[in-house]
Amino acid sequence: MKLHEYQGKEILRDFGVNVQEGKVAHTPEEVKAIAEEYGQPVVVKAQVHVGGRGKAGGVKFSPTADKALENGQNILGMDIKGLTVEKVLVTKAVDIDAGTEYYVGMIVDRNVQSYTLMASAEGGMEIEEVAAATPEKIIKHRVDPVTGLRPYEAREVAIKAGFKGNLNKIADMMVKMSKAALERDAVLVEINPLFVGADGIPLALDTKFEIDDNAMYRHQDVAHYRELSAEHPLEVEASEYGFAYVKLDDGNVGVLGNGAGIVMTTLDVVNRAGAKPANFLDIGGGAKADVVYNAVKLVSKDPDVKAIFINIFGGITRADEVAKGVIQALDEGILTKPVRMRIAGTAEDEAKALLNEKNSDLIKMYPTMFEAAEEAAKEANALGGK
Amino acid sequence: MGILVNKDSKVIVQGMTGSEGAKHSRAMKEFGTQVVAGVTPGKGGQDFEGWPIYNSVAEAKEKHGANVSIIFVPPAGAADAVLEAAHAGMPLIVLITEGVPTVDMMRAVQEVKALDAESRAGGGEGIRLIGGNCPGLVTNGEAKVGIMPNRIYTNPGRIGLISRSGTLTYEAAKLLNDAGMGTSTTVGIGGDPVIGTTFADVLPMFEADPDTDAVVVIGEIGGADEEAAAEYIKNNMKKPVVAFISGRSAPAGKRMGHAGAIIMGDVGTPESKLAAFKAANVPVADTMPEIVELVKAALSK
Repeated sequence: MKLHEYQGKEILRDFGVNVQEGKVAHTPEEVKAIAEEYGQPVVVKAQVHVGGRGKAGGVKFSPTADKALENGQNILGMDIKGLTVEKVLVTKAVDIDAGTEYYVGMIVDRNVQSYTLMASAEGGMEIEEVAAATPEKIIKHRVDPVTGLRPYEAREVAIKAGFKGNLNKIADMMVKMSKAALERDAVLVEINPLFVGADGIPLALDTKFEIDDNAMYRHQDVAHYRELSAEHPLEVEASEYGFAYVKLDDGNVGVLGNGAGIVMTTLDVVNRAGAKPANFLDIGGGAKADVVYNAVKLVSKDPDVKAIFINIFGGITRADEVAKGVIQALDEGILTKPVRMRIAGTAEDEAKALLNEKNSDLIKMYPTMFEAAEEAAKEANALGGK
Repeated sequence: MGILVNKDSKVIVQGMTGSEGAKHSRAMKEFGTQVVAGVTPGKGGQDFEGWPIYNSVAEAKEKHGANVSIIFVPPAGAADAVLEAAHAGMPLIVLITEGVPTVDMMRAVQEVKALDAESRAGGGEGIRLIGGNCPGLVTNGEAKVGIMPNRIYTNPGRIGLISRSGTLTYEAAKLLNDAGMGTSTTVGIGGDPVIGTTFADVLPMFEADPDTDAVVVIGEIGGADEEAAAEYIKNNMKKPVVAFISGRSAPAGKRMGHAGAIIMGDVGTPESKLAAFKAANVPVADTMPEIVELVKAALSK
């Protein structure tokens, strides 16, 4: 679960990280009131789950309360990469020129089977850009998942990265970030920029925080951080059904299959066939007819989908259960788009018999996933979409 | 023979009395695996469909001389189940459970590695974890410690198979089977970001296995395990290897079902994996059926 900047800051503050003061506003008037309360220049920052807010005009320095109001008016309601800004964070501004901006972050790193701590003196820009242009400026260090980052390690990394200022306080912030990551099951945490002012004291100006979905059961106290309105409605519905579902941009073929690997490969073959997949949907192992019915219903709802490709290799999943789910959706009039299927494995013959008996023009079966993909692509491209 | 499991493996099932554990205990038995006992804390002393149930792994291991444990425990207790088996000295632990928190896996994997090193230093056979979020292992014609459908393992053969994905493992095993080649051992290493055993850990075992002539590696986007595998193959392997990479059209930053299948920045891209295999002279199949053609071509050289 990706958190907004202000939510990530709340978590880090709970662990004792010195975070720049700020408050959330939902209306321009609230923005102005916060700016007046602070009585100093503020920054108005869009709270949306996309990168590049600043470049999109979603982060504005506001020297006066009136300017803050104006910026609030402009930013609230703004569309950033398809997401509407519904709230902003109003923070006290700092004089960036009077200090230095650094980067620290931790990420799950399968290569070291733990977290890797990253630190760079090139703060304030996206770490991916630093990694691409000057990878030598990023210091990396494996964090022990049992002990967490220890102060001496943090100091060592800070020194290597060339951080200047109160070294103990900077290391302490890194240690607290590591505690937050381990205790809150972070997939990713970043403090960027980590601002060190003339007094040498570190201050977290911006943060990123993402919690491991598999660990959400033990973080129910922050479950309300999830905002359904900030997610694609089909993704919200899919999560209610317990599906692994990802909406993909510019697609025209709805895809569903059993197993993450097979669905990933199905996306690849749809691309090869000259169409674009509109989604990733894994119905999981051992799905019964009702699960398949829900999956077909979900994919059918997507207006981008012109044709549906169902790719089943039945192991634990019985092909006849898949057929029953598809037939139910057809009988109820939910399924109105052409379905091209490749259905193999357990109870394959029973499934084919059921579908043949139904004898619907909408549903066609093919022996291989390539033929099914070709046909689904042909249908989808003929019916429109890209 | 194959690697890791064979007809002599004595298997216990942690979580046997749960629905998944029960179903797959039966299927493993049907396959011919020596499933000797189950472990469900609190149900010790009971009989489950003819299998004795124990409260602890240590007890089941001692009573039956078990050397493999397969785990079907739900996510919140799965890492603890791994640690219990590892501390009981179980040489091979297979974690099937999907959805275990990554931090739990980091800690469990680190501890299993330390116990493994300790065991080996003392002259023991070590402790290995496979998975989590994996379909397990099959040595064709001998034993299955996993959840693969039994039917696709009808023709024992001489091709080793390693995969991050369950369903693609089945697909590849069936293709090889239907092409009359068959598999020796299949190892599903799992789709999570932090797993006990990687491609590069399994490849040396296949290289040394007299019953394996060639290896198929089924990778996917995310992480750099395929790159590490390619590096190992380039420097150490004499047997031919054929690769396949799933998710080549997936967008960056989106998790494709598997927790580990995500491109982050420039890490985990299909381009990087393709380049690594190319540098190691490993042919990469563009489609699943092409795997069969490439294996045939590699073996005829």
